[in-house]
Amino acid sequence: MSLLPEPSTFEKRYSDDEKLASELPDRPITSLRDLQYVYGRLYTLATAGGGEYAAYLTPEKSTDLFDESESLLYLRVDLSEDKPRLDPDQPIGVESYGKEKVEAVAHSWYNAAKGFDHSVTHRTGKNKEPEKVAEYLHERLTAWAADDVIQEAVADHEDGWIVDALAELGESEGLRERIETAVDEQLDGKTTALTTVAVKSEPDGEYLLPGEASSVFNEAMRARKRSKLVSKGEATDSIGEATDLVTGNRGPTVGTAEDPLNYFLGKQLEKFPGFDPDEAWRTHPVSEDVAVTLMNASTFVDACDYYTMGANVYYLPYFFGRLGPEDARDLYGLLYDLVHAGEMSPLESAYRSYQDTPRLQEVGERFRFYVAAVMEHQTKRFDVFGDSMDGTLFSPVELTRSHQRVLRSWLYDAEGDADHPDPGLRAAFPTPDNWDIFVPEESALLSTLATGWYFEQTFAPADDDDASADDYRIRALVAVLSGEPLDIETVLTEYVERLLEDEGEEFPSFRVAAQYAQLCALAEAGLLTGRDAYEPVAEPRQLTHDQTDDMQQDTPARADGGNVAAARETKLEQFLEQTPALAEDQPERRGSFLLGALVGQVTGYQQVSEGRSTTLIDQYPIKAVTESKLKRLASDVLDKNIVYSRENNMAGTMYSEVVDRLVTTLPQLDIDGDWELDTTDLRFYYSLGVAYGMNNWTSSDDDEQADGQPAAEEEEA
Amino acid sequence: MAQESLEGRTDEDDGLPETCLSFELRGEWGHFRRVEGNIVKQTYRIIPRTTVAGLVAAMLGLDRDSYYEAFSQNVSAVAVEPIDELRAINMPMNTLSTAKEHMTTMPSRGHARISMPDPSELRQQHNYEVLVEPAYRVDLQLANDDLRGRLQDRLRDGTSYYPPSLGLSEHLAEVTYLGEFELTPHERETTDVDSVVLEAVDSVELTPETEVKVERSPAFMAADEGGRTTTAFQSIAYATGAEPLRVQDVETHEVDGRRVMFS
Repeated sequence: MSLLPEPSTFEKRYSDDEKLASELPDRPITSLRDLQYVYGRLYTLATAGGGEYAAYLTPEKSTDLFDESESLLYLRVDLSEDKPRLDPDQPIGVESYGKEKVEAVAHSWYNAAKGFDHSVTHRTGKNKEPEKVAEYLHERLTAWAADDVIQEAVADHEDGWIVDALAELGESEGLRERIETAVDEQLDGKTTALTTVAVKSEPDGEYLLPGEASSVFNEAMRARKRSKLVSKGEATDSIGEATDLVTGNRGPTVGTAEDPLNYFLGKQLEKFPGFDPDEAWRTHPVSEDVAVTLMNASTFVDACDYYTMGANVYYLPYFFGRLGPEDARDLYGLLYDLVHAGEMSPLESAYRSYQDTPRLQEVGERFRFYVAAVMEHQTKRFDVFGDSMDGTLFSPVELTRSHQRVLRSWLYDAEGDADHPDPGLRAAFPTPDNWDIFVPEESALLSTLATGWYFEQTFAPADDDDASADDYRIRALVAVLSGEPLDIETVLTEYVERLLEDEGEEFPSFRVAAQYAQLCALAEAGLLTGRDAYEPVAEPRQLTHDQTDDMQQDTPARADGGNVAAARETKLEQFLEQTPALAEDQPERRGSFLLGALVGQVTGYQQVSEGRSTTLIDQYPIKAVTESKLKRLASDVLDKNIVYSRENNMAGTMYSEVVDRLVTTLPQLDIDGDWELDTTDLRFYYSLGVAYGMNNWTSSDDDEQADGQPAAEEEEA
Repeated sequence: MAQESLEGRTDEDDGLPETCLSFELRGEWGHFRRVEGNIVKQTYRIIPRTTVAGLVAAMLGLDRDSYYEAFSQNVSAVAVEPIDELRAINMPMNTLSTAKEHMTTMPSRGHARISMPDPSELRQQHNYEVLVEPAYRVDLQLANDDLRGRLQDRLRDGTSYYPPSLGLSEHLAEVTYLGEFELTPHERETTDVDSVVLEAVDSVELTPETEVKVERSPAFMAADEGGRTTTAFQSIAYATGAEPLRVQDVETHEVDGRRVMFS
């Protein structure tokens, strides 16, 4: 539940362009603070109506307590007589908190592990025992009302006496016990609640909650909240004359404002001149108004945050450049949708809004996101593993589209309708139904991507549960969300590490298939960058519709329609032709792919036709492949293949399409000379070959021997 | 060796000279901490103008907090152009906590005491975002003729008073003098800008092909009784691949056959 008005209400309220423009920054959004400021402004505009204290209150903080039983507890304090006292008949009130009580409760939350909220109303921790709840209630008097800052703030207020009286009551003997007894009697058990006071100042008056009773409560709340902008933790008075980093205006700036993202905190002394926390305003100067506005961004910031792979991922939408009135209304609508997105990730929600809103589509290239992955070691010790002001919606969407195209091409034929070299032969790679990465559907893939699952399925797993700076899956997620290319070298390293980890009982051909689909999609979406010797790898098969057409024409029509060997030949020829990384001038990579393909084919043959439990891939696992061994492995495997061919009384060699190419490629390998590839690269393409070879079978048994090997079954992802 | 002092004639009426000194800054690493974080250590991609001033001051051996005026508006102008693709990586580093409870004061009594982290404490690992092989061309105009002359000597000789660095002192900078160049001002027009684009972020033409990135960093500083503060921040647009950006209706200068924007 949220208190934010519908976008249409917001639009109506702020339909005057000029008036709305005057509420917005007069320069482009170019930093995280600029963005938070805009969010804070929009939030304040949307929830305004509470008058001068609106910016200091946090009505959104406890909407989760709406209509929960026992979610609003208050001391009933009678101030109508000489001495303040708790109501003798009913010392505490217990109610269900609701929307209609928001203003009366006037809550201002404070993000602190210790200490109390700015308002007299204080939110308890989760599921607190009655005894603890009683303590919170008591502290409304002993901690809040007695606080120095609050006492000073209300000294000149006409109702200042109310706060004094509350503090006085807090001192009275036996009060704590009375509250405890009352709470025990009235509460059913543990609860999460707002705790506050209700005061009666006339003998026949009613008990009124703070927002109804007097402005003195809000006045005190505001003073307390402001005091925390300059004194917190070790800082006692961090204020000075400087230039506000958001508005650029010169004036008093404060040093210990809260940051919804906690990037800046007062206890990091080394960043302050002379290790002095009171100098914090010099390194992070914001005016009081801006500081409060930044805090008000938290509802929207929180709505754009989700947790995955041990990190918080932030995906904050905005528009490039200066925010015009029209932009502001659109952005509000977008943020409103994000607040109400439910289980959907911010990426999916933003994409849905984009599809449903023609105005957002018109914004086009200006539609941007601040993207960050943040690891919270402790509540106040953060690390950022990647952030960017320049995320786009197009980058992740383009990637999912490329991925779909790859899956629908003949290489994968995930939908079973692609044009094959031979309909009897399987696609180049398997697409098991139960792997999310093989579902050729945009919204499903977008969700797979947003949650990081896209890379979790293909990259090496993390060493432990906590996120770490070395976790390339998080880096990759942030990079894709912000449209930055991934380093091909690192991607292949991740792939091979994962394969080595997987390679146990069975060869992980589903994993390889998933990785290769991803690699092709990344390449097509322009998200791979190569360096030096790795350059050619950055161009695996670019799958476009045009090329699919070409391929179809190249496929020789065969009258017999059943010669599987010929079909295999055509298929391999096409695959090699369409994969620049395996071109003839890349003999190392081509050689290891072909070797893998042969091993995969023979393995399949051994499994099916011979029922062997130990196969060729067991003898030549991925880790056996190295630069120096490649040639020897190849001749071993070729020998074995000849033996099998003889045993099966074949006229020629089995899998001659692979053997012939391997034989011509091998002499080009110059192991001692200028070897260009490293082991990772060789191993990946070897694995790709194995997966290809193992999937290279047909369900019909009408051909020569060795054509009926099913691919090895694999564990589910 | 005595620290150099700042003398020379700075005549605001004469304005800036008609030439600028150009040099290249390179390093294996760079880290220009973004001001919105202290818990997190993210870096700007473009060396901030205040850092350029500090680096030049270090080369000349100027005292801390003494040089801000010489690099203020009207008496100085800086254009920065990224030379290579801008790339950053995560570099986890083990650091000592500077929380109050982990600080020790040395010596334990007396007037001249300093606070420092206790080196016997365990380190905490924190992630620094670090630029990889950053490289910039800087065009610098200085009205102060003494300062300009001394800088030109330093650049020509390849010497420096303090070791120049890119942000953190451990990220040493290599400075290469390119020469003194004439400046040709150009009226407002739509043009390709080779340097980073200053303030005119809204006027940058966005196309699917160019990746325009933005950041906002400190540009000018001033000293006061207690230390120093930033007096102005500036918004910067640039292309990650260090390509020029097309900008509408913008004032530029031509330097060495390139179009640049000064601030």
